Amino acid sequence: MNGYERYFATLDGGTPDHPARTPILMRWAAEHIGQAYGAFVSDHRVLVEANLRCARDLGIDQVSAISDPLRETAGFGGKVAIHPQTGASCEEPPLAAALDLALLQRPDPASSLRMRDRVEAVRLFKAKVGGEYSILGWVEGPLAEAADLRRMDNLFMDLFDGDEEVAALLDVCTDVAIDFARAQVEAGADTIGVGDAAASQISADLYEEWVWPREKRLVEAIHAMGARVKLHICGNITHLLPGIARLGLDVLDVDHLVDLATVRAAVGPKVALAGNVDPVKGVMQARPDAIRTAVAACRERAAGPFLVNAGCEIPAGTPLENLRAFCQPL
Amino acid sequence: MNQNLTLLQSAIEAGKRKDAVALTRSLLDEGMAPLDVVEQALVPGMSVIGEKFKRNEVFVPEMLIAARAMKECMVLLEPLLVAAGVKPKHTAVIGTVQGDLHDIGKNLVAMMLKGANFAVHDLGTNVPTEKFVEAAREHGAELVCLSALLTTTMPAMREAVGVIRAAALPKVKILVGGAPITQEFCNEIGADGYSPDAASAVDKAKEVLSA
Ligand code: B12
Repeated sequence: MNGYERYFATLDGGTPDHPARTPILMRWAAEHIGQAYGAFVSDHRVLVEANLRCARDLGIDQVSAISDPLRETAGFGGKVAIHPQTGASCEEPPLAAALDLALLQRPDPASSLRMRDRVEAVRLFKAKVGGEYSILGWVEGPLAEAADLRRMDNLFMDLFDGDEEVAALLDVCTDVAIDFARAQVEAGADTIGVGDAAASQISADLYEEWVWPREKRLVEAIHAMGARVKLHICGNITHLLPGIARLGLDVLDVDHLVDLATVRAAVGPKVALAGNVDPVKGVMQARPDAIRTAVAACRERAAGPFLVNAGCEIPAGTPLENLRAFCQPL
Repeated sequence: MNQNLTLLQSAIEAGKRKDAVALTRSLLDEGMAPLDVVEQALVPGMSVIGEKFKRNEVFVPEMLIAARAMKECMVLLEPLLVAAGVKPKHTAVIGTVQGDLHDIGKNLVAMMLKGANFAVHDLGTNVPTEKFVEAAREHGAELVCLSALLTTTMPAMREAVGVIRAAALPKVKILVGGAPITQEFCNEIGADGYSPDAASAVDKAKEVLSA
């Protein structure tokens, strides 16, 4: 089985020869090929090269266009700076001072530089390794993108103030996520990852009211394009599981603060669960034999379709032999 | 106990800023001393919401709106406190260490300290080490709070503790926190105190300052 087949066997209820490996690699991947993280986030050729080398050197089953959360923010007109070491940052988010949608540009995946670069990454993956590895595209979820534009603390207070402008902001973030997903699916992505990190920090009530309907619309739109959806929310999502279970996801990333068996009970037998070794204590700082044991334990607790993954990004500086152990076939 | 004090405390807990401001105004009109309003309604309100956050009963947004309500009440109260010569008991400087841009947790700690009537000077994120020393000196702070959320910025925290210790600031105590920080790490780098969340940060601050 190649990576593509292994991944889809997991998603489609088949029997993979062993669990597919889909760790989240950004800084680590840049480091692995001796490139600055700043180059990884701004030049799709570096990102593609880094992913392919990681896939081949470690036996990873998916290549990914994930890099940093600020692709869409740049498209919206936010001033995004690229630092060689720390990557992308936006010191003054466009809506930090005022919730006024007129301050935003409408991002276009075909012309906005940072968005187009990601679409090009997907296109290059498809040309080089289509059918050999699964190809993961990436978009920001509605709450995460709104937080990037408005600043998280402002946005959280806006939710309580509950005016129409915040609903409109979340809607436009959802529309843009759909456009961006479509461009990546057309370029060759078989799965779209949706990163909605900020959602772990809000209550189930706020999630159901403001976030769930928009995530649901995004998931349905991506499915209508013929691609699969993976949701990634960093942090503890136990309180959100009843809503997440109703999204109709194909893959759910599970951070290390969450119990995989609890997630399985909530989401049912079909969703593939990816996780959830602690990226720092369980992968970066652990011994290779302990890492293998931890991955096997995750598979047990996931009891059903399972992808090898840490709770979140593999930290930069993780020793090569640790990641090798992590990716060794179970 | 004055009914309006109880209502004000509840308004703070619920983050109802308009109610909170109106109640503050009524209490002042009734002749209540501004410091009593702070100590008998605002401080306990913030402390209750901090405890709920610690127990995962409420989340970051609820903390933010409670702090915002308190802040708007303080706009009325602060000039009166200054006029009456009442000063916050303690002064703190807080920031996220160099290389680290996470600030939600740090902001919550700052809010809880303000809620406990500390004067707080927030230096923001990605704060160069010397800035902590300069700010502590400038504001005569007795407490420096350092936050780090990344394993890769924990060394910057260690360095900051070293530099603050090396500076001639004998009465300054250092508090550290952030998701990857532990009591062992705190001991190892020679900080004075660690706490895992914003509510306990206030207790810890009082503890190290009275030691
Ligand atoms: C939100 C978030 C972000 C946001 C930050 C927005 C902001 N304005 O802060 C963004 C998207 C910008 C971000 C970026 C990154 N992040 Co981030 N992020 C998070 C996330 C999801 C939540 C952090 C948070 O705010 N928690 C909520 C607050 C309330 O909790 P807290 O910060 O722990 O604070 C509490 C206590 O720790 C304590 N406390 C905090 N400070 C202090 C200080 C003192 C003195 C005291 C006493 C107590 C105290 O009190 C607080 C309240 O109770 C975490 C995952 C997680 N679940 O923790 C990852 C996480 C922290 N990020 C991580 C990473 C790797 C990154 C990036 C490198 C990712 C990337 N490749 O771009 C960048 C780094 C950018 C940089 N240079 O800093 C990793 C860190 C891993 C590690 N240990 O090194 C985490 C753990 C995710 C993961 N599982 O891998 N992130």
